[in-house]
Amino acid sequence: MNYWKQALSDWNHLFREELLGVFKDQGVLIFCLLVPLGYPLLYAFIYTNEVLHELPVAVVDDCRSTQSREFLRHLDATSDVRITAYCADMAEAQELVKRREAYGAVCVPRDFSRRLARGEQVAVSAYSDLGGMLYYKAVLTAATNASLDLNAQIKVKRAGGTTAEQDQVAEHPITYQEVSVFNPQNGFATFLIPAVLVLIIQQTLLLGVGMAAGTAREQNRFRSLVPFGRQRRGMLRIVWAKSLAYLLVYIPISVYVLGVVPHLFQLSQLGRPADMALFMLPYVVACIFFAMTVSALVRNREMCILLIVFTSVPLLFISGLSWPSSAVSAVWKTIGYIFPSTFGIKGFVAINNMGAPLGDLRQEWTMLWLQAAVYCLTTCVVYRASILHSRQRLLQAWQAARLRRRQLRSHSTEHV
Amino acid sequence: MKFPFLREWRRMLRQPIYAFGMVAAPLLCCLFFTSLMSEGLPEKLPLGLVDEDNSATSRNIARNLDAFQMVNVARVYANVGEARRAMQQGEVYGFYLIPHGTASEANRQRVPTVSFYTNHSYLVAGSLLYRDMRMMSELASGAASRSVLYAKGATERQAMAYLQPVVIDMHAVGNPWLNYSIYLSNLLIPGVLGLFIFMITVYSLGTELKFNTARALLRRSGGSTAAALTGKLLPQLLVFLLTGTVCVWWLYGHLHFPCHCGLPRMWLIMVLFVVGCQGLGVFMFTMLPTLRLGLSFASLWGVISFSICGMSFPCMAMHPILQGLAWLFPLRHYYLLYVNSALNGYALQNAWPYVLCLLAFALLPLLCLPRLGKVLREYAYLP
Repeated sequence: MNYWKQALSDWNHLFREELLGVFKDQGVLIFCLLVPLGYPLLYAFIYTNEVLHELPVAVVDDCRSTQSREFLRHLDATSDVRITAYCADMAEAQELVKRREAYGAVCVPRDFSRRLARGEQVAVSAYSDLGGMLYYKAVLTAATNASLDLNAQIKVKRAGGTTAEQDQVAEHPITYQEVSVFNPQNGFATFLIPAVLVLIIQQTLLLGVGMAAGTAREQNRFRSLVPFGRQRRGMLRIVWAKSLAYLLVYIPISVYVLGVVPHLFQLSQLGRPADMALFMLPYVVACIFFAMTVSALVRNREMCILLIVFTSVPLLFISGLSWPSSAVSAVWKTIGYIFPSTFGIKGFVAINNMGAPLGDLRQEWTMLWLQAAVYCLTTCVVYRASILHSRQRLLQAWQAARLRRRQLRSHSTEHV
Repeated sequence: MKFPFLREWRRMLRQPIYAFGMVAAPLLCCLFFTSLMSEGLPEKLPLGLVDEDNSATSRNIARNLDAFQMVNVARVYANVGEARRAMQQGEVYGFYLIPHGTASEANRQRVPTVSFYTNHSYLVAGSLLYRDMRMMSELASGAASRSVLYAKGATERQAMAYLQPVVIDMHAVGNPWLNYSIYLSNLLIPGVLGLFIFMITVYSLGTELKFNTARALLRRSGGSTAAALTGKLLPQLLVFLLTGTVCVWWLYGHLHFPCHCGLPRMWLIMVLFVVGCQGLGVFMFTMLPTLRLGLSFASLWGVISFSICGMSFPCMAMHPILQGLAWLFPLRHYYLLYVNSALNGYALQNAWPYVLCLLAFALLPLLCLPRLGKVLREYAYLP
């Protein structure tokens, strides 16, 4: 009974100390509070326009007929591109691209309307700057849409003297419907921001916990992770108190990052809150223990920034969002299993963007709990090792001191 | 200047964090991105099929769909509900629906409708599949018309001219394979390098304050801030240049990514980028001499670079404030210079404002030398 009382009181003390540490240490405060609060807003602001509209393109109309002008009017009418210049030849168009006044060019050949009149096929050339994939996509989509519009009209005209019903059949014997699900405007923010939000939680935890651990080491006499004087209080108590303190800080932060930020920027939120909470709990727990394990590597306070920050970009790619996971090689996939963010991003995107119920994400959910368990274990091992190391150093220091005192005493007796 | 130069070499060799941040991590990222995207364009993306029709026509559509380079018809689902669920679980990136009676309605000229669903939550995979599924739908419609035309005695040439009077001949200038690795690795790798240059520059200056060695450094450099700073940053510059050179060689020499301007000019652009980042790093530390604030700011600037440089989401689609702000990021100028020189093969003069901007970043330390001297002399480390 006494043991439990002692345990709880120790726990209470450690918990409060860690919590105060988060709020007192300005460095930790930056990462555990300021970055999670501000960073998502900045990111959402960058991508908030979602899509690229009205890309400036130059056109070369060698035909200058009614039909070629109609084609170009159709092109200009698409939301993707905007015709900014009618050039005399391709060299002029290229000059505009070179000066970054146009990002693509469309060239209608000289025999455009003559070939159409003869009932032959004609090719319109479109060129795009490949500095960005979205430029290419915009030019291709606009040109294809304009050509399909014109094709339908030409087909109907050629069929000649038909009814509206026959026209429709001639246009498209089989029609098609395209449905873009879960991101209807094909927007960049809806695609990227949810993953960034999930990643922010893991990265700020790694940074915050790492910085706190680095500080503890710097202030410690033996440069050890666990402060002097705590060793007798037991490893489990330290690990539990610390992890629960971080959990307490990160529950409101997770709610803000994953719930409020998407709401502020009107990103899709199809998930049920209960599912979301149940899924994100193991994610945050896994991240906390992962961060505590990694923090054992951090020797001084600021070093963790150098170690952690750059991993964000590779982690985003390995998670299967930017780069389709079916095209990720087995080696990188296996390495990706180390990080909670791999499963966290996949699950959060599925729940938040696609409205998947938790039951559909059994695999990811189990993997997160598994990670939480494994990293809990490794955290215990790391802290245990640190405590033992610290105790050994203490013992050595004490023995050295005793030896010195004995020598001093023998010296003084000799003198006497 | 000799003393701080040698002293910095010793520091860099003694502390493993320098080797990690200056050489190991950037090169590891270089290897990571190029090997992850070695396919260039992701092939065989899993696609679902809901075939309610089960006719010769519908199977023909499915077979043709599977034959596309990007598409792998991974699973056949009994109904839309199942396919949607598979999409939510991430098994497939989209599905193609051929409803009941498609073939017979098409034969009776009743205009049936097929549909395709793409999950654009995975933008790259979704866009690629969308393109192929749309193409397939056009072809399916065309195939139906074509059989009618053949029956009326049209030749193939006549039939194609009737079906598609206007076709688009698309040219992707500079990257005709639409290789994603060329599109992304070329900037992600310098991005990581730039991030590390910011952080290491701030870290190495900040630790002088932290371990109280700044004043000794200044004294041994003859009291000159310029000498101390040059001596200190020169070894770092040499190592970063080495890493940058290896990256340039890896991308354009080894992987043969398009480099119309030739290796030496691309190397020159990399050199400009490295010195520009270092200059900006010094400026960051001078303005925020607290190590934790300086480093936080350096990492913020470095990470935002990836988004604001405009390689993935074009700058012109961003808020005007951000378009102006983008000028303050070296990676933005590197990106524009790379597109101008390596990808499109225009002369460097064509992009002179960006060269000037990188040079301006490199000269920033001159501007902040007096304040830096004061910082190194008077400021104390704050945890």
